[in-house]
Amino acid sequence: MKAKRLALLGLLTTIALIIFVVELRIPNIAPVPGMKLGLANIVTVYAVYHCTAKETALILFTRIILGSLFGGNMLALLYSLGGGIMCLLGMLLLRKVIDEKHIWVCSVLGAVLHNIGQIIVAAAVMQTAAVITYLPFLLVSGCVAGLLTGLCAQLLTSRINLNDF
Amino acid sequence: MKNAKLWIIVAAVIFIAAIVWCVIIITKPPGEIVTISQDGETLYTLDLSEESDRTITVEYEGRENVIEIKDGRIHMLEADCPDHTCINTGWLEDLPIVCLPNKLVIEFADESGADAVAR
Ligand SMILES: [Zn+2]
Repeated sequence: MKAKRLALLGLLTTIALIIFVVELRIPNIAPVPGMKLGLANIVTVYAVYHCTAKETALILFTRIILGSLFGGNMLALLYSLGGGIMCLLGMLLLRKVIDEKHIWVCSVLGAVLHNIGQIIVAAAVMQTAAVITYLPFLLVSGCVAGLLTGLCAQLLTSRINLNDF
Repeated sequence: MKNAKLWIIVAAVIFIAAIVWCVIIITKPPGEIVTISQDGETLYTLDLSEESDRTITVEYEGRENVIEIKDGRIHMLEADCPDHTCINTGWLEDLPIVCLPNKLVIEFADESGADAVAR
């Protein structure tokens, strides 16, 4: 990997981390575990369309692991990883069938997959299907949040071209 | 072949289905039989209509959860977990009370099962 490219990926990861840490400061209003805006995914969605699969995975997992360390909540790491893996695999496949003008759709479906991944991990850890009751609430908020982050990523796409750097 | 329209429809269907699913959960009448389980094992099965006011303490790896039953309702009173989501959920209504770190779940038992017990 070229040094320039590495620096660029480091920059994207840092931006994602900053957004993540800032979002930690926003109190969770809903009593539903795992419900959040996930603004750091603006970077993930952007990377899906501008970086290789390997690079996107690097950015995402570095952010998730460091984010859990900074947030001091290692218990949340497992859920973030479960959701993150589902979301990443899904969006990398969707990238092949959804063009750049419809990044927001890819983002919404990525959020849906993220929620499903979270619930699968929660059900496995807790040994109960009771957590599935939370899924529809996570899905509704996830779709809205995914739309928001997707539109942000789309806005960036039309303005920033990584090849310019 | 790129066909964004198809995926927009898929996303819309998921969104609408999720809203309908939420409404079904919210409008479902609450039961009376409550189960408290930890790590997949049922610790308590309680009939809220017959329970007197009391607290139940459940321990997990040195951390404690205090569950309170009051006036035929149940909630998490205290918890040694970092997020306190379980306490913030409030009284048990539509959604099960879940304490992820301590693997504790308070939920209404399956309606059909509850009826079977009552008869
Ligand atoms: Zn808790």
